Amino acid sequence: MTARMFARSFDSLPAMVAFTAEVFDREGIDPALLPVIDFAIEELFTNMVKYGIGSTADVRVEIGRIDHGVEVTLTDYDVDRFDVTAAPDADVSLPIEQRKPGGLGLHLIRRLLDSIEYEYREATRQSRITFRKTRAAQEGAVHTEGG
Amino acid sequence: MLAIDHGAPGTVVVKGRLDAAQAPAAQAFLDGVRGTVTLDCSGLEYISSAGLGVLLKTQKRLLADGGKLRLCGVSRHLQDIFGYSGFDQLFEIEPAK
Repeated sequence: MTARMFARSFDSLPAMVAFTAEVFDREGIDPALLPVIDFAIEELFTNMVKYGIGSTADVRVEIGRIDHGVEVTLTDYDVDRFDVTAAPDADVSLPIEQRKPGGLGLHLIRRLLDSIEYEYREATRQSRITFRKTRAAQEGAVHTEGG
Repeated sequence: MLAIDHGAPGTVVVKGRLDAAQAPAAQAFLDGVRGTVTLDCSGLEYISSAGLGVLLKTQKRLLADGGKLRLCGVSRHLQDIFGYSGFDQLFEIEPAK
């Protein structure tokens, strides 16, 4: 596993993208998984930036290879509990008049990833989100969407 | 990085990454288009939910004025994102060749 800290700002996004590409290359992780991993990291990280108002701490991102895929853990410090796995899905069947920008990030990552877990440590006020994506699931998603 | 500019008449070409950091610039550009517009996504490598919000806001505005936003050159990964978002019901989408 390789870890790096990122300032809690949207300005960190280019450095995060460079970090994921660097780890994928060094650890020989299937590059076809990279767009989904970048997507999930951005959605979770931007949620932390937007809603972790009281914290000024950097966010830790850890990436490692697993069988046929990749595992990522994001750790946010000095924040309240926010269980991303319990957030409601967006209603994507609404007509466009009733659709509003926002609310799609968590909805989408739950469909794109194999698994996502949330852990909160009260003593240190740490939120930890761990997710996994494998090539097998990637092929399944493409097959489903391709009809 | 993101590049967005006018292409052939009625077409806007977008290239690069439409993420949360780039969404305000993309929105500012698309706020200036009128009528029926085709967004050429063949060079769009990545879109996040912030980018989806830009497309949705633009589509709502154009539809209200009798126009619309069409998407062409859409990659497989972006098709997945649009499908899971229900955007395939809100936009005409032409896959990449």
